[in-house]
Amino acid sequence: MDAARFGFLMILPALIMLLFIVIFPLLASIYLSLSKWSPLTGGGTRWFQAYQFWGWLSNYWNIIRDPDFLMALLRTFIIVIVVVPVEFFIGLVLAFLFRESFPGKKIFHSILLMPMMVVPAVAGFIFYMLFQGQGPVNEALSKLFFHEVSVLWLQGNISAMIAIMIADIWQWSPFMFLILLSGIMSLPEDQINAALILGASGWQRLRMVILPLMKPVIVISLIFRGMEAVKIFDSIWLMTSGGPGTATESISVYMYKHGFKYLKWSWVAAGGVIVLIIITLISMQALKPIKEREEQSA
Amino acid sequence: MEQKPYEKVLKLLLIVVITLLFFFPIYWIVTMAFKPFPEWTAAGGKIYWFPNHPTIDNFRAIFSQKLEMSPISGTAIRPIFNSLVVSVIGTCIAMVVGVFAAYGISRYKAGGSLPFMLLQLRMFPPIAIIIPIMIMWAFLHMTDTWYGLSLIYGVVTLPFSVWLMKTFFDDIPRELDEAAIVDGCSNIGAFFKVVMPLAKGGIASSALFVFILNWSDFLIALILTDRKWTTIPVHISKLQSALVGALYGPKAALGLIALIPPVFFGILIQKYLVRGLTFGAIKK
Repeated sequence: MDAARFGFLMILPALIMLLFIVIFPLLASIYLSLSKWSPLTGGGTRWFQAYQFWGWLSNYWNIIRDPDFLMALLRTFIIVIVVVPVEFFIGLVLAFLFRESFPGKKIFHSILLMPMMVVPAVAGFIFYMLFQGQGPVNEALSKLFFHEVSVLWLQGNISAMIAIMIADIWQWSPFMFLILLSGIMSLPEDQINAALILGASGWQRLRMVILPLMKPVIVISLIFRGMEAVKIFDSIWLMTSGGPGTATESISVYMYKHGFKYLKWSWVAAGGVIVLIIITLISMQALKPIKEREEQSA
Repeated sequence: MEQKPYEKVLKLLLIVVITLLFFFPIYWIVTMAFKPFPEWTAAGGKIYWFPNHPTIDNFRAIFSQKLEMSPISGTAIRPIFNSLVVSVIGTCIAMVVGVFAAYGISRYKAGGSLPFMLLQLRMFPPIAIIIPIMIMWAFLHMTDTWYGLSLIYGVVTLPFSVWLMKTFFDDIPRELDEAAIVDGCSNIGAFFKVVMPLAKGGIASSALFVFILNWSDFLIALILTDRKWTTIPVHISKLQSALVGALYGPKAALGLIALIPPVFFGILIQKYLVRGLTFGAIKK
Protein backbone atom coordinates (compact mmCIF):
# COMPACT_ATOMS: atom_id res chain seq x y z
CA MET A 1 0.00 0.00 0.00
CA ASP A 2 1.43 3.39 -0.87
CA ALA A 3 2.08 5.86 1.90
CA ALA A 4 -0.50 8.50 1.01
CA ARG A 5 -3.31 5.97 0.84
CA PHE A 6 -2.26 4.32 4.08
CA GLY A 7 -2.14 7.70 5.83
CA PHE A 8 -5.60 8.51 4.55
CA LEU A 9 -6.98 5.18 5.75
CA MET A 10 -5.56 5.86 9.21
CA ILE A 11 -7.42 9.14 9.59
CA LEU A 12 -10.57 7.90 7.85
CA PRO A 13 -12.46 6.78 10.99
CA ALA A 14 -11.81 10.15 12.63
CA LEU A 15 -13.01 11.97 9.52
CA ILE A 16 -16.18 9.91 9.35
CA MET A 17 -16.91 10.59 13.00
CA LEU A 18 -16.40 14.30 12.50
CA LEU A 19 -18.66 14.39 9.46
CA PHE A 20 -21.30 12.36 11.26
CA ILE A 21 -21.30 14.45 14.40
CA VAL A 22 -20.45 17.92 13.12
CA ILE A 23 -21.70 18.34 9.60
CA PHE A 24 -25.18 16.94 10.05
CA PRO A 25 -25.95 18.76 13.31
CA LEU A 26 -24.61 21.96 11.82
CA LEU A 27 -26.84 21.71 8.76
CA ALA A 28 -29.81 20.69 10.90
CA SER A 29 -29.15 23.65 13.19
CA ILE A 30 -29.13 26.09 10.30
CA TYR A 31 -32.28 24.50 8.85
CA LEU A 32 -34.15 24.65 12.17
CA SER A 33 -32.94 28.14 12.95
CA LEU A 34 -34.58 29.47 9.80
CA SER A 35 -37.97 28.14 10.88
CA LYS A 36 -40.28 28.80 13.78
CA TRP A 37 -40.69 25.13 14.54
CA SER A 38 -40.75 23.80 18.09
CA PRO A 39 -41.80 20.43 19.49
CA LEU A 40 -44.90 22.18 20.85
CA THR A 41 -46.11 23.87 17.67
CA GLY A 42 -44.70 21.43 15.15
CA GLY A 43 -45.97 18.16 16.49
CA GLY A 44 -43.49 16.10 18.48
CA THR A 45 -40.49 14.90 16.58
CA ARG A 46 -41.34 15.88 13.02
CA TRP A 47 -38.57 18.43 12.95
CA PHE A 48 -37.85 17.78 9.28
CA GLN A 49 -41.21 19.33 8.47
CA ALA A 50 -39.98 22.59 9.92
CA TYR A 51 -40.33 24.16 6.46
CA GLN A 52 -44.03 24.39 7.16
CA PHE A 53 -43.18 26.95 9.80
CA TRP A 54 -40.63 28.80 7.73
CA GLY A 55 -39.54 32.09 9.25
CA TRP A 56 -36.38 33.10 7.37
CA LEU A 57 -34.21 35.18 9.68
CA SER A 58 -36.87 36.07 12.22
CA ASN A 59 -35.24 33.98 14.96
CA TYR A 60 -31.91 35.68 14.39
CA TRP A 61 -33.48 39.09 14.28
CA ASN A 62 -35.38 38.44 17.51
CA ILE A 63 -32.62 36.73 19.46
CA ILE A 64 -30.06 39.49 18.88
CA ARG A 65 -32.60 41.87 20.39
CA ASP A 66 -33.32 39.60 23.35
CA PRO A 67 -31.78 41.26 26.40
CA ASP A 68 -31.45 37.90 28.17
CA PHE A 69 -29.40 36.49 25.29
CA LEU A 70 -27.18 39.54 25.09
CA MET A 71 -26.72 39.59 28.85
CA ALA A 72 -25.82 35.89 28.84
CA LEU A 73 -23.16 36.60 26.20
CA LEU A 74 -21.84 39.58 28.14
CA ARG A 75 -21.88 37.63 31.41
CA THR A 76 -19.97 34.72 29.88
CA PHE A 77 -17.45 37.23 28.57
CA ILE A 78 -17.12 38.84 32.02
CA ILE A 79 -16.66 35.46 33.70
CA VAL A 80 -13.87 34.59 31.26
CA ILE A 81 -11.99 37.88 31.60
CA VAL A 82 -12.21 37.76 35.40
CA VAL A 83 -11.49 34.12 36.21
CA VAL A 84 -8.78 33.39 33.65
CA PRO A 85 -6.37 36.16 34.78
CA VAL A 86 -7.02 35.41 38.47
CA GLU A 87 -6.38 31.71 37.91
CA PHE A 88 -3.26 32.58 35.95
CA PHE A 89 -1.98 34.81 38.75
CA ILE A 90 -2.61 32.23 41.50
CA GLY A 91 -1.06 29.52 39.34
CA LEU A 92 2.01 31.66 38.67
CA VAL A 93 2.54 32.51 42.35
CA LEU A 94 2.23 28.85 43.30
CA ALA A 95 4.53 27.76 40.49
CA PHE A 96 7.23 30.13 41.73
CA LEU A 97 6.81 28.97 45.30
CA PHE A 98 7.24 25.39 44.10
CA ARG A 99 10.49 26.06 42.24
CA GLU A 100 12.51 25.47 45.36
CA SER A 101 12.39 22.37 47.49
CA PHE A 102 10.80 22.44 50.92
CA PRO A 103 9.59 19.82 53.38
CA GLY A 104 6.46 17.98 52.25
CA LYS A 105 6.58 19.40 48.72
CA LYS A 106 5.16 16.28 47.10
CA ILE A 107 2.17 16.14 49.43
CA PHE A 108 1.37 19.84 48.99
CA HIS A 109 1.70 19.41 45.24
CA SER A 110 -0.76 16.50 45.15
CA ILE A 111 -3.29 18.28 47.36
CA LEU A 112 -3.12 21.41 45.23
CA LEU A 113 -3.84 19.41 42.08
CA MET A 114 -6.94 17.76 43.53
CA PRO A 115 -9.53 20.46 42.72
CA MET A 116 -9.01 20.14 38.97
CA MET A 117 -9.72 16.40 39.14
CA VAL A 118 -13.02 16.97 40.93
CA VAL A 119 -16.01 16.28 38.69
CA PRO A 120 -17.28 19.81 37.84
CA ALA A 121 -20.86 18.97 38.76
CA VAL A 122 -19.67 17.77 42.17
CA ALA A 123 -17.62 20.96 42.53
CA GLY A 124 -20.79 22.91 41.83
CA PHE A 125 -22.59 20.99 44.55
CA ILE A 126 -19.73 21.53 47.03
CA PHE A 127 -19.83 25.28 46.52
CA TYR A 128 -23.60 25.23 46.66
CA MET A 129 -23.21 23.87 50.21
CA LEU A 130 -20.39 26.23 51.14
CA PHE A 131 -22.27 29.34 50.08
CA GLN A 132 -25.53 28.59 51.88
CA GLY A 133 -26.83 31.34 54.16
CA GLN A 134 -25.87 29.25 57.17
CA GLY A 135 -22.92 27.66 55.42
CA PRO A 136 -19.26 27.54 56.32
CA VAL A 137 -18.27 30.56 54.22
CA ASN A 138 -20.46 32.94 56.21
CA GLU A 139 -19.43 31.24 59.43
CA ALA A 140 -15.74 31.61 58.62
CA LEU A 141 -16.21 35.26 57.61
CA SER A 142 -18.07 35.89 60.87
CA LYS A 143 -15.18 34.48 62.86
CA LEU A 144 -12.64 36.41 60.80
CA PHE A 145 -14.33 39.79 61.26
CA PHE A 146 -15.74 39.16 64.76
CA HIS A 147 -19.04 40.24 63.32
CA GLU A 148 -22.07 38.22 62.28
CA VAL A 149 -21.94 37.77 58.49
CA SER A 150 -25.04 36.28 56.89
CA VAL A 151 -24.91 37.01 53.18
CA LEU A 152 -27.39 35.06 51.11
CA TRP A 153 -24.72 34.44 48.51
CA LEU A 154 -26.68 32.51 45.93
CA GLN A 155 -29.77 34.70 46.22
CA GLY A 156 -28.11 38.00 45.32
CA ASN A 157 -27.42 38.98 41.71
CA ILE A 158 -23.83 40.04 42.23
CA SER A 159 -22.93 37.79 45.15
CA ALA A 160 -24.10 34.74 43.19
CA MET A 161 -21.80 35.72 40.32
CA ILE A 162 -18.94 36.11 42.80
CA ALA A 163 -19.68 32.69 44.29
CA ILE A 164 -19.68 31.11 40.82
CA MET A 165 -16.40 32.79 39.95
CA ILE A 166 -14.83 31.65 43.22
CA ALA A 167 -15.90 28.07 42.49
CA ASP A 168 -14.31 28.30 39.04
CA ILE A 169 -11.13 29.85 40.41
CA TRP A 170 -10.91 27.10 43.01
CA GLN A 171 -11.30 24.40 40.42
CA TRP A 172 -9.02 25.74 37.71
CA SER A 173 -6.16 27.62 39.42
CA PRO A 174 -4.55 24.21 40.01
CA PHE A 175 -4.58 23.70 36.24
CA MET A 176 -2.64 26.94 35.74
CA PHE A 177 -0.29 25.89 38.52
CA LEU A 178 0.37 22.51 36.91
CA ILE A 179 1.03 23.95 33.46
CA LEU A 180 3.11 26.91 34.62
CA LEU A 181 5.17 24.80 37.02
CA SER A 182 6.13 22.37 34.29
CA GLY A 183 6.87 25.41 32.11
CA ILE A 184 9.20 26.87 34.73
CA MET A 185 10.87 23.55 35.38
CA SER A 186 11.73 23.14 31.71
CA LEU A 187 13.51 26.51 31.52
CA PRO A 188 17.25 26.44 30.87
CA GLU A 189 18.84 26.94 34.29
CA ASP A 190 21.95 28.68 32.93
CA GLN A 191 20.10 31.65 31.45
CA ILE A 192 18.48 32.42 34.78
CA ASN A 193 21.82 32.03 36.54
CA ALA A 194 23.47 34.32 33.99
CA ALA A 195 20.95 37.02 34.82
CA LEU A 196 21.65 36.43 38.49
CA ILE A 197 25.39 36.90 37.97
CA LEU A 198 24.75 40.09 36.02
CA GLY A 199 23.07 41.38 39.15
CA ALA A 200 19.43 41.25 38.16
CA SER A 201 16.99 41.54 41.03
CA GLY A 202 14.27 38.95 41.59
CA TRP A 203 11.67 41.08 39.86
CA GLN A 204 13.95 41.83 36.92
CA ARG A 205 14.75 38.15 36.50
CA LEU A 206 11.05 37.39 36.44
CA ARG A 207 10.11 40.12 34.00
CA MET A 208 13.11 40.10 31.66
CA VAL A 209 14.17 36.46 31.63
CA ILE A 210 11.69 33.97 33.05
CA LEU A 211 8.39 35.27 31.69
CA PRO A 212 9.65 35.86 28.13
CA LEU A 213 11.13 32.36 28.08
CA MET A 214 7.82 30.95 29.29
CA LYS A 215 5.74 32.83 26.76
CA PRO A 216 4.68 29.81 24.66
CA VAL A 217 3.50 27.93 27.75
CA ILE A 218 1.68 30.99 29.09
CA VAL A 219 -0.09 31.58 25.79
CA ILE A 220 -1.25 27.98 25.56
CA SER A 221 -2.48 27.89 29.15
CA LEU A 222 -4.48 31.10 28.66
CA ILE A 223 -6.01 29.88 25.39
CA PHE A 224 -6.97 26.55 26.87
CA ARG A 225 -8.51 27.98 30.02
CA GLY A 226 -10.28 30.67 28.02
CA MET A 227 -11.86 28.21 25.65
CA GLU A 228 -13.01 25.93 28.44
CA ALA A 229 -14.29 28.83 30.57
CA VAL A 230 -16.55 29.97 27.71
CA LYS A 231 -18.46 26.69 28.07
CA ILE A 232 -19.16 27.12 31.80
CA PHE A 233 -22.37 25.29 32.69
CA ASP A 234 -22.10 22.53 35.32
CA SER A 235 -21.12 24.64 38.30
CA ILE A 236 -23.68 27.36 37.52
CA TRP A 237 -26.45 24.84 37.00
CA LEU A 238 -25.73 23.12 40.31
CA MET A 239 -25.23 26.34 42.28
CA THR A 240 -27.94 28.70 41.03
CA SER A 241 -29.53 27.19 37.89
CA GLY A 242 -28.90 30.61 36.37
CA GLY A 243 -30.85 32.39 39.09
CA PRO A 244 -31.87 34.49 40.85
CA GLY A 245 -34.06 35.16 37.81
CA THR A 246 -31.58 35.24 34.98
CA ALA A 247 -28.81 36.95 36.94
CA THR A 248 -26.19 34.21 36.54
CA GLU A 249 -27.12 32.72 33.18
CA SER A 250 -24.07 32.01 31.07
CA ILE A 251 -24.60 31.39 27.38
CA SER A 252 -24.75 27.62 27.94
CA VAL A 253 -27.28 27.98 30.77
CA TYR A 254 -29.39 30.34 28.67
CA MET A 255 -29.48 27.88 25.79
CA TYR A 256 -30.18 24.92 28.05
CA LYS A 257 -33.11 26.72 29.66
CA HIS A 258 -34.61 27.86 26.38
CA GLY A 259 -34.08 24.50 24.74
CA PHE A 260 -35.25 22.17 27.47
CA LYS A 261 -37.47 24.22 29.75
CA TYR A 262 -39.26 26.37 27.19
CA LEU A 263 -38.72 23.96 24.25
CA LYS A 264 -37.88 26.81 21.87
CA TRP A 265 -35.72 24.64 19.64
CA SER A 266 -35.52 26.79 16.54
CA TRP A 267 -34.74 29.77 18.77
CA VAL A 268 -31.90 27.89 20.43
CA ALA A 269 -30.69 26.65 17.03
CA ALA A 270 -30.38 30.28 15.92
CA GLY A 271 -28.55 31.13 19.14
CA GLY A 272 -26.29 28.14 18.59
CA VAL A 273 -25.38 29.27 15.07
CA ILE A 274 -24.55 32.77 16.37
CA VAL A 275 -22.39 31.32 19.16
CA LEU A 276 -20.61 29.01 16.71
CA ILE A 277 -19.82 31.96 14.45
CA ILE A 278 -18.47 34.03 17.35
CA ILE A 279 -16.38 31.13 18.69
CA THR A 280 -15.02 30.33 15.22
CA LEU A 281 -13.93 33.94 14.72
CA ILE A 282 -12.26 34.02 18.14
CA SER A 283 -10.67 30.60 17.82
CA MET A 284 -9.13 31.36 14.43
CA GLN A 285 -7.16 34.07 16.20
CA ALA A 286 -6.60 32.12 19.40
CA LEU A 287 -5.32 28.96 17.76
CA LYS A 288 -2.70 30.83 15.72
CA PRO A 289 0.12 30.27 18.22
CA ILE A 290 -0.53 26.51 18.22
CA LYS A 291 -0.61 26.46 14.43
CA GLU A 292 2.66 28.36 14.19
CA ARG A 293 4.33 25.99 16.62
CA GLU A 294 3.18 23.01 14.56
CA GLU A 295 4.44 24.55 11.34
CA GLN A 296 7.82 25.26 12.91
CA SER A 297 8.26 21.72 14.13
CA ALA A 298 7.06 20.22 10.86
CA MET B 1 19.89 31.27 45.46
CA GLU B 2 20.65 32.71 48.90
CA GLN B 3 17.62 33.29 51.03
CA LYS B 4 17.23 34.69 54.50
CA PRO B 5 15.67 32.22 56.94
CA TYR B 6 12.60 34.37 57.59
CA GLU B 7 11.95 34.50 53.84
CA LYS B 8 11.90 30.73 53.71
CA VAL B 9 9.50 30.51 56.63
CA LEU B 10 7.26 33.16 55.08
CA LYS B 11 7.11 31.28 51.80
CA LEU B 12 6.34 28.00 53.51
CA LEU B 13 3.60 29.72 55.48
CA LEU B 14 2.10 31.10 52.28
CA ILE B 15 2.13 27.63 50.72
CA VAL B 16 0.45 26.11 53.77
CA VAL B 17 -2.29 28.76 53.82
CA ILE B 18 -3.04 28.46 50.09
CA THR B 19 -3.05 24.67 50.28
CA LEU B 20 -5.46 24.69 53.22
CA LEU B 21 -7.80 27.07 51.39
CA PHE B 22 -7.79 24.84 48.34
CA PHE B 23 -8.21 21.70 50.38
CA PHE B 24 -11.14 22.94 52.45
CA PRO B 25 -13.93 22.26 49.88
CA ILE B 26 -12.68 18.69 49.52
CA TYR B 27 -12.50 18.34 53.28
CA TRP B 28 -16.07 19.61 53.43
CA ILE B 29 -17.52 17.04 51.02
CA VAL B 30 -15.60 14.19 52.66
CA THR B 31 -16.83 15.07 56.15
CA MET B 32 -20.32 15.85 54.86
CA ALA B 33 -20.55 12.33 53.47
CA PHE B 34 -20.00 10.89 56.96
CA LYS B 35 -22.28 13.21 58.90
CA PRO B 36 -25.55 11.89 60.30
CA PHE B 37 -28.81 13.56 59.26
CA PRO B 38 -29.07 16.16 62.07
CA GLU B 39 -25.56 17.37 61.29
CA TRP B 40 -25.85 17.81 57.55
CA THR B 41 -29.28 19.32 57.41
CA ALA B 42 -29.22 23.08 57.12
CA ALA B 43 -32.31 23.50 59.26
CA GLY B 44 -30.52 23.43 62.62
CA GLY B 45 -28.64 26.61 61.92
CA LYS B 46 -25.57 25.17 63.58
CA ILE B 47 -22.46 24.28 61.67
CA TYR B 48 -20.56 21.10 62.32
CA TRP B 49 -16.97 21.63 61.23
CA PHE B 50 -16.33 17.91 61.58
CA PRO B 51 -18.70 14.96 62.03
CA ASN B 52 -19.36 14.51 65.75
CA HIS B 53 -21.02 11.18 65.22
CA PRO B 54 -19.54 9.75 62.03
CA THR B 55 -21.82 7.29 60.28
CA ILE B 56 -22.17 5.54 56.96
CA ASP B 57 -25.93 6.16 56.84
CA ASN B 58 -25.55 8.40 53.78
CA PHE B 59 -23.88 5.64 51.82
CA ARG B 60 -26.52 3.21 52.98
CA ALA B 61 -29.20 5.67 51.88
CA ILE B 62 -27.93 6.03 48.32
CA PHE B 63 -27.62 2.27 47.93
CA SER B 64 -30.95 1.35 49.47
CA GLN B 65 -33.80 0.52 47.14
CA LYS B 66 -35.80 3.62 47.97
CA LEU B 67 -34.48 6.68 49.71
CA GLU B 68 -36.59 7.25 52.78
CA MET B 69 -36.37 11.00 52.48
CA SER B 70 -36.71 11.19 48.75
CA PRO B 71 -39.27 10.39 46.09
CA ILE B 72 -36.50 9.03 43.88
CA SER B 73 -36.69 5.30 43.63
CA GLY B 74 -33.76 3.22 42.61
CA THR B 75 -30.29 3.05 44.00
CA ALA B 76 -27.05 4.66 42.99
CA ILE B 77 -25.74 1.28 41.87
CA ARG B 78 -27.20 1.69 38.40
CA PRO B 79 -25.80 5.22 37.80
CA ILE B 80 -22.37 4.11 39.02
CA PHE B 81 -22.51 1.13 36.68
CA ASN B 82 -23.71 3.40 33.86
CA SER B 83 -20.95 5.93 34.42
CA LEU B 84 -18.36 3.17 34.31
CA VAL B 85 -19.79 1.56 31.16
CA VAL B 86 -20.22 4.71 29.07
CA SER B 87 -16.93 6.26 30.22
CA VAL B 88 -14.96 3.11 29.43
CA ILE B 89 -16.59 2.50 26.05
CA GLY B 90 -16.38 6.19 25.16
CA THR B 91 -12.69 6.08 26.04
CA CYS B 92 -12.16 3.00 23.85
CA ILE B 93 -13.85 4.70 20.89
CA ALA B 94 -11.81 7.88 21.28
CA MET B 95 -8.58 5.96 21.75
CA VAL B 96 -8.94 3.49 18.86
CA VAL B 97 -9.99 6.17 16.39
CA GLY B 98 -7.53 8.66 17.90
CA VAL B 99 -4.47 6.39 17.84
CA PHE B 100 -4.92 5.60 14.13
CA ALA B 101 -5.59 9.21 13.22
CA ALA B 102 -2.65 10.47 15.30
CA TYR B 103 -0.31 8.02 13.59
CA GLY B 104 -1.57 9.05 10.16
CA ILE B 105 -1.06 12.71 11.05
CA SER B 106 2.31 12.25 12.73
CA ARG B 107 3.93 10.02 10.08
CA TYR B 108 2.09 10.63 6.84
CA LYS B 109 0.96 14.24 7.38
CA ALA B 110 -2.49 13.02 6.41
CA GLY B 111 -5.63 15.04 6.89
CA GLY B 112 -4.22 18.52 6.29
CA SER B 113 -5.87 20.77 8.84
CA LEU B 114 -7.71 17.94 10.59
CA PRO B 115 -5.85 18.50 13.89
CA PHE B 116 -7.02 22.09 13.98
CA MET B 117 -10.55 21.21 13.06
CA LEU B 118 -10.47 18.95 16.09
CA LEU B 119 -9.26 21.79 18.32
CA GLN B 120 -11.98 24.00 16.95
CA LEU B 121 -14.49 21.29 17.74
CA ARG B 122 -13.26 21.30 21.33
CA MET B 123 -13.95 25.02 21.62
CA PHE B 124 -17.60 24.79 20.64
CA PRO B 125 -19.94 24.76 23.61
CA PRO B 126 -21.70 21.39 23.32
CA ILE B 127 -25.02 23.07 24.03
CA ALA B 128 -24.77 24.93 20.70
CA ILE B 129 -25.15 21.75 18.67
CA ILE B 130 -26.80 19.43 21.16
CA ILE B 131 -30.36 19.93 19.89
CA PRO B 132 -29.70 18.56 16.40
CA ILE B 133 -27.69 15.76 18.00
CA MET B 134 -30.64 15.01 20.23
CA ILE B 135 -32.93 14.96 17.20
CA MET B 136 -30.51 12.69 15.39
CA TRP B 137 -30.18 10.39 18.39
CA ALA B 138 -33.97 10.15 18.75
CA PHE B 139 -34.21 9.28 15.05
CA LEU B 140 -31.58 6.54 15.39
CA HIS B 141 -33.12 5.33 18.68
CA MET B 142 -29.90 6.12 20.52
CA THR B 143 -31.31 8.38 23.25
CA ASP B 144 -30.93 6.91 26.73
CA THR B 145 -28.77 4.01 25.55
CA TRP B 146 -25.22 3.03 26.42
CA TYR B 147 -24.06 3.17 22.82
CA GLY B 148 -25.62 6.56 22.16
CA LEU B 149 -23.89 8.17 25.12
CA SER B 150 -20.59 6.31 24.58
CA LEU B 151 -20.47 7.39 20.95
CA ILE B 152 -20.91 11.07 21.73
CA TYR B 153 -18.30 10.82 24.50
CA GLY B 154 -15.92 9.25 22.02
CA VAL B 155 -16.40 12.16 19.64
CA VAL B 156 -16.17 14.88 22.28
CA THR B 157 -12.87 13.54 23.65
CA LEU B 158 -11.41 12.65 20.24
CA PRO B 159 -9.44 15.94 20.02
CA PHE B 160 -7.57 15.04 23.19
CA SER B 161 -6.77 11.48 22.19
CA VAL B 162 -5.54 12.59 18.76
CA TRP B 163 -3.36 15.42 20.08
CA LEU B 164 -1.95 13.41 22.95
CA MET B 165 -1.09 10.42 20.80
CA LYS B 166 0.31 12.66 18.08
CA THR B 167 2.84 14.13 20.51
CA PHE B 168 3.78 10.63 21.68
CA PHE B 169 4.26 9.41 18.11
CA ASP B 170 6.26 12.54 17.25
CA ASP B 171 8.63 11.59 20.08
CA ILE B 172 9.30 8.11 18.67
CA PRO B 173 12.14 8.35 16.12
CA ARG B 174 10.64 7.84 12.69
CA GLU B 175 13.82 6.02 11.60
CA LEU B 176 12.54 3.02 13.56
CA ASP B 177 9.42 2.40 11.50
CA GLU B 178 11.19 3.45 8.30
CA ALA B 179 13.84 0.82 8.96
CA ALA B 180 11.15 -1.80 9.55
CA ILE B 181 9.49 -0.92 6.25
CA VAL B 182 12.83 -1.14 4.42
CA ASP B 183 13.28 -4.57 6.00
CA GLY B 184 10.10 -5.71 4.32
CA CYS B 185 7.48 -4.86 6.92
CA SER B 186 4.18 -3.48 5.62
CA ASN B 187 2.95 -0.04 6.75
CA ILE B 188 0.49 -1.66 9.10
CA GLY B 189 3.07 -4.14 10.28
CA ALA B 190 5.50 -1.37 11.17
CA PHE B 191 2.75 0.40 13.08
CA PHE B 192 1.67 -2.63 15.11
CA LYS B 193 5.02 -4.36 15.61
CA VAL B 194 7.40 -1.41 16.03
CA VAL B 195 5.58 1.77 17.03
CA MET B 196 2.71 0.46 19.14
CA PRO B 197 4.89 -1.41 21.65
CA LEU B 198 6.94 1.77 22.15
CA ALA B 199 3.82 3.90 22.61
CA LYS B 200 2.19 1.60 25.19
CA GLY B 201 2.84 3.90 28.13
CA GLY B 202 1.57 6.88 26.20
CA ILE B 203 -1.58 5.06 25.17
CA ALA B 204 -2.30 3.97 28.73
CA SER B 205 -1.94 7.45 30.18
CA SER B 206 -3.90 9.07 27.35
CA ALA B 207 -6.67 6.57 27.94
CA LEU B 208 -6.80 7.41 31.64
CA PHE B 209 -6.89 11.08 30.76
CA VAL B 210 -9.78 10.62 28.33
CA PHE B 211 -11.56 8.46 30.90
CA ILE B 212 -11.43 11.30 33.44
CA LEU B 213 -12.96 13.68 30.91
CA ASN B 214 -15.80 11.27 30.11
CA TRP B 215 -16.41 10.50 33.75
CA SER B 216 -16.69 14.22 34.51
CA ASP B 217 -19.37 15.02 31.97
CA PHE B 218 -22.69 16.35 33.22
CA LEU B 219 -24.40 18.35 30.46
CA ILE B 220 -24.41 15.71 27.73
CA ALA B 221 -25.68 12.97 30.03
CA LEU B 222 -28.30 15.35 31.37
CA ILE B 223 -29.69 15.86 27.88
CA LEU B 224 -29.16 12.49 26.21
CA THR B 225 -30.25 10.19 29.02
CA ASP B 226 -33.57 9.83 30.67
CA ARG B 227 -34.12 7.02 33.10
CA LYS B 228 -32.06 3.95 32.37
CA TRP B 229 -28.66 5.41 31.55
CA THR B 230 -28.33 8.41 33.85
CA THR B 231 -24.78 8.82 35.07
CA ILE B 232 -23.50 9.71 38.54
CA PRO B 233 -23.41 13.52 38.10
CA VAL B 234 -26.99 13.53 36.82
CA HIS B 235 -28.10 11.27 39.65
CA ILE B 236 -26.46 13.61 42.18
CA SER B 237 -28.31 16.59 40.77
CA LYS B 238 -31.59 14.73 41.11
CA LEU B 239 -31.18 13.66 44.72
CA GLN B 240 -33.77 16.03 46.09
CA SER B 241 -36.54 15.61 48.55
CA ALA B 242 -39.78 17.53 48.83
CA LEU B 243 -39.48 17.48 52.62
CA VAL B 244 -35.83 18.29 53.30
CA GLY B 245 -34.81 19.89 50.01
CA ALA B 246 -31.34 19.04 48.78
CA LEU B 247 -30.14 15.84 50.39
CA TYR B 248 -26.68 17.12 51.29
CA GLY B 249 -25.49 13.99 53.05
CA PRO B 250 -26.40 11.43 50.37
CA LYS B 251 -25.33 13.82 47.59
CA ALA B 252 -21.97 14.26 49.28
CA ALA B 253 -21.61 10.50 49.71
CA LEU B 254 -22.23 9.87 46.01
CA GLY B 255 -20.06 12.86 45.10
CA LEU B 256 -17.24 11.36 47.12
CA ILE B 257 -17.59 8.10 45.23
CA ALA B 258 -17.50 10.05 41.97
CA LEU B 259 -14.29 11.79 43.01
CA ILE B 260 -12.26 8.69 43.70
CA PRO B 261 -11.38 7.51 40.16
CA PRO B 262 -10.44 10.90 38.66
CA VAL B 263 -8.44 12.06 41.67
CA PHE B 264 -6.59 8.76 41.87
CA PHE B 265 -5.86 8.49 38.14
CA GLY B 266 -5.27 12.21 37.83
CA ILE B 267 -2.46 12.27 40.34
CA LEU B 268 -1.06 9.09 38.82
CA ILE B 269 -0.77 10.64 35.36
CA GLN B 270 -0.15 14.30 36.24
CA LYS B 271 2.85 14.50 33.90
CA TYR B 272 0.66 13.49 30.97
CA LEU B 273 -2.11 15.80 32.09
CA VAL B 274 0.16 18.71 31.26
CA ARG B 275 0.65 17.48 27.72
CA GLY B 276 -2.99 16.61 27.23
CA LEU B 277 -4.33 19.87 28.52
CA THR B 278 -1.92 21.94 26.45
CA PHE B 279 -2.38 19.85 23.32
CA GLY B 280 1.26 18.92 23.45
CA ALA B 281 2.73 22.39 23.86
CA ILE B 282 4.99 21.18 26.64
CA LYS B 283 7.11 18.24 25.65
CA LYS B 284 7.96 15.77 28.37
